[in-house]
Amino acid sequence: MNTNPPADAPPLQLRNVTKFYGDFKAVDDVSFTLAAGSICGFLGPNGAGKTTTLRMILEIIQPTRGLITVLGRPSALEVRQRIGYLPEEKGLYKKMKTWSVIAYFAALKGLTRKAARQRAFELLERYGLKDFAAKPTEALSKGMSQKVQMLASIAHDPELVILDEPFVGLDPVNQQVMEDIIRDMAARQRTILFSTHVMQHAERLCERILLIAKGKMIFDGTIAEAKRTLPRRVRIETDDDIGPLRQLSGVISVAPVETARGAAGPNDSAHWELQIGENADPQAILQLCFAKGIRLRGFNQSDPTLHEVFMRLVGPEAREAAFR
Amino acid sequence: MKYAFLVAWREYAENAKTRGFWIGLFMFPVIIFLSVSVSVLLEKKGTPVRHYVLVDQSGIFAAVIESRLEQLTPRPMPGAPASKAPQRPFQPASLPAMIDTNADLASLSRDLKPYLRREKRLQANGRDVDLYAAILIPRDIEKQIVRPRAKPGGKTASTNGIEYWSANLADTRLRDEIEQAVNGEIRRREYLARGMDSAAIREVEQTRAPFASLNPSKEAGQEAVSGADILRQWAPSGFVYLLWVAIFGISQMLLNNIIEEKSNRIIEVLLSSVTPGELMTGKLLGIAAIGLTMVGVWMAALFGVLTWKSGGGPDFAGPLLLALKTSKLIPMFVIYFLLGYVMYAAFILALGSVCNTIKEAQNYMAVVTMVMIVPMLTMPFIPKDPNGTLARVLSWIPIYTPFTMMNRVNADPPLVDLIGTMLLLLASAAAALWMAGKIFRIGILRTGQPPKIVEMLRWLKG
Repeated sequence: MNTNPPADAPPLQLRNVTKFYGDFKAVDDVSFTLAAGSICGFLGPNGAGKTTTLRMILEIIQPTRGLITVLGRPSALEVRQRIGYLPEEKGLYKKMKTWSVIAYFAALKGLTRKAARQRAFELLERYGLKDFAAKPTEALSKGMSQKVQMLASIAHDPELVILDEPFVGLDPVNQQVMEDIIRDMAARQRTILFSTHVMQHAERLCERILLIAKGKMIFDGTIAEAKRTLPRRVRIETDDDIGPLRQLSGVISVAPVETARGAAGPNDSAHWELQIGENADPQAILQLCFAKGIRLRGFNQSDPTLHEVFMRLVGPEAREAAFR
Repeated sequence: MKYAFLVAWREYAENAKTRGFWIGLFMFPVIIFLSVSVSVLLEKKGTPVRHYVLVDQSGIFAAVIESRLEQLTPRPMPGAPASKAPQRPFQPASLPAMIDTNADLASLSRDLKPYLRREKRLQANGRDVDLYAAILIPRDIEKQIVRPRAKPGGKTASTNGIEYWSANLADTRLRDEIEQAVNGEIRRREYLARGMDSAAIREVEQTRAPFASLNPSKEAGQEAVSGADILRQWAPSGFVYLLWVAIFGISQMLLNNIIEEKSNRIIEVLLSSVTPGELMTGKLLGIAAIGLTMVGVWMAALFGVLTWKSGGGPDFAGPLLLALKTSKLIPMFVIYFLLGYVMYAAFILALGSVCNTIKEAQNYMAVVTMVMIVPMLTMPFIPKDPNGTLARVLSWIPIYTPFTMMNRVNADPPLVDLIGTMLLLLASAAAALWMAGKIFRIGILRTGQPPKIVEMLRWLKG
């Protein structure tokens, strides 16, 4: 059977995908398309529908409505040899040898047993686990096990890699290794979709993010576009009255900043955050400070973080839902 | 199917590495070997020699008892190689000089108790021995003889009659021999007292009609029932036991395996590579191969040991080997093993898929075990009436068909039972697999509380 997609087919496309569990709508009319060779972060609070969406992409579960095209095919199982998947809940066969687990999953993805074995040893050597190759996986630490799982999911060199929370439970060193693996794959024109709660990873790795909350897609765009959904801000540190700054055109709001010393009252704070409009010039704030004799101890202009974007887009309702 | 075979191969390879598999594999051959060899050993070595003391204050029975116990000495088989001289199983020991044999039985027994409790030892043939039993015959035993229609005798010094003292209550051979010797002598004396010729009476007692067991299913001229025929009738019960152990054992293996994959969350990665159908088929095949390997080794061991021991081994080895070779036991065992396995594996697959931990599964397994225990309970009764109502009814219940029909295999069940139950079993196994597939598909990804029966029925409809 020819599994080659049409030349211009995107690696992954979802159109109006909806999933009901009984009366509960877990995923609500989700649509997006991934470009070949891209790294895309799939963000959302707990229970937002990320894992359900990923499972539908892999055809582990069926959508109630909508269309999913994977590597140009309507069924992920048709092209399973070209997809890699690391699930959120991670585990290995405890009694199997490390190399053997990787080789088994690679063989299930279409590699011959000989090639799978060779690839397993190659990957273990490349990622510093050679000495554990012949050990049962129960002898591995949690971080090592997770690395082995990652290697098992990419041992067949898939074109589309789907990673569900790949960084959970890893120490900073292993998180860096995981990031390197993802970058390596992207450098070889592999398409990667990964879900995460850790915004720093998404910020460092992704060109594009998809944000989902309560089953609905609430943002699809680049990191820069995401950041533009929040006003830019200027932070200043002063003991003087900042009243004049409130009148400046382009300044949307002025608010005290909570510091490590705790929340401050409206007039006794040394730290202030000014939200400014898209076309406002931060230099104008600096000039007004000099003109009005406001003595500055600090002045800092920065874009909002992805975390702030996430918190704002997700909204208090979804945040509460995530904790329920 | 390629992926199902890959799953099957892993199941086979990984389960074949487990300790449980190897114990299961070798336990049966070891049991077979021991049961054959130990019986030979016991025949060779004989039972241990046991020592007794006999105090016959009446002076009537000592000689007949001695003569009867002497006759228990095993005689060497004709043509058997000369070995150690056979020993009497029960040998007399010398009473210590301080014990007064003329004392009343109460005193005698009190004096002998330390020896009977093995607190002290006696002398026999110049060495210290344990006292196994003491037989005390009172002086007035003749007054205590019980005769039909006679009034009980007057007051006597002893009211127990002959006293047999022994700490071993399980082995009654010595007691039985002595009782028979004493009663034989009493009756001989009765005949004499009544003026009857005891020798003539003994001759009359030994007259008999020849009696032959014949089997109508055998060819004309060869209808006589031999030891092999009796073994052939009972051998299926052994195979029922093997079938039960094999099916139950590998079903447990299958359950553990599914639970491991589910609790370790490996299942999701597997399901991104194979369909639930392929995964289920792979598991079914892999574990079936494990079962077949086990059963194959068991059969080879059985044939091996029986062939090895059939010349000069225990009496049953040759006839049993013949019974195995000349009956349909082995092929039917393999057929019923496979069909029975598929039937039970379907239940286990469904059960394993909806449980998250072994503990959860064990609650349900208790029910499965209770259902599976029925063939074991009925196993001894089927060969006695292999075509009776119980056997026929159980044969037509698919979950019991393999065990019951296996037990009936050598009793020539009616063709309608043989073919009909087989077809029903095949259809039921297929239906069970279909249902298991439906439940497995949904249950395997489910976490949290196991579903209720109603919910599972909904899955079957969906």
